[in-house]
Amino acid sequence: MNGLIQTLNNLLNDFGLYREFVIKASFYFIAALTCLFAFMVVRSRDIFHCAVFLAATLFGVACVYLFLNAEFLAAVQVLIYVGAIVTLFIFAIMLTTKIHDKAIKQTNRQALIGGALALVLLSSLIAIINRNPWKAGGPGADREFLGLGELGKSLMSTYALPFEVISLILLAALVGAIVIGRTYKE
Amino acid sequence: MIPQSHFLILGAILFAIGIYGALTRRTAIGILMSIELILNAANVNLITFNRFLGSPDGPAPSGADGLGQIFALFVIAIAAASAVVGLVLVIAIYRNSKTILMDKINLMKW
Repeated sequence: MNGLIQTLNNLLNDFGLYREFVIKASFYFIAALTCLFAFMVVRSRDIFHCAVFLAATLFGVACVYLFLNAEFLAAVQVLIYVGAIVTLFIFAIMLTTKIHDKAIKQTNRQALIGGALALVLLSSLIAIINRNPWKAGGPGADREFLGLGELGKSLMSTYALPFEVISLILLAALVGAIVIGRTYKE
Repeated sequence: MIPQSHFLILGAILFAIGIYGALTRRTAIGILMSIELILNAANVNLITFNRFLGSPDGPAPSGADGLGQIFALFVIAIAAASAVVGLVLVIAIYRNSKTILMDKINLMKW
């Protein structure tokens, strides 16, 4: 992974002045694509298409993580979300609905109110974000990649207790899912 | 460099889309997908703040280096657990009432 990034970096350095522009342009392209896919997740009529668009959205978010120097999180995102959770969603869709049943209306009666509420929420959030003078550009802003070893060490030392608790939660969810999902013979 | 606020705005857009989906979707699976979108928006914000941690006057406080990323890992684990339990609940409801349309399920309404 690091070798790949190094090669990409060398390639981009050859561009010289264009390096910054290439990084910026690719970020805005990926961000716009991610938003478009996310919108398709909530608007598509076919629930199966929604699941596929969800996979695309999650992949786009993983790409955004790469821009934030979190390459391990990007890998985890692709493995767990795109690999496991979306597959689970597709299984649930196949077990419950007729997949290509487009006759079912997908939105409820609150569609207009919900849309207005989401718009108000979004505009106020953007206003708040723009009001705050983010003091970026300090020494923290050009930090190196946080190494996987560092992350693992702090998971095993400082954050050992939350780490154990999260594994317990996952186990409980697993057992609970089996108990709820099984069929009982009379 | 891409400014911090643009990452935050991306997170806000994903969050708003997720809220819209959770409010307006009729199928339970659609609502669960919207919740996944909301959790992802939270993750984008967490990792953004982790990336830009540290004031212009000095570096980030020691020990808080990977805090945002570790928090995001926990959010991913919780999201996986919630998706598993939620989807199994959907399947159990479907087995009983043959529908996953949320406005058709009114067993506890009178």
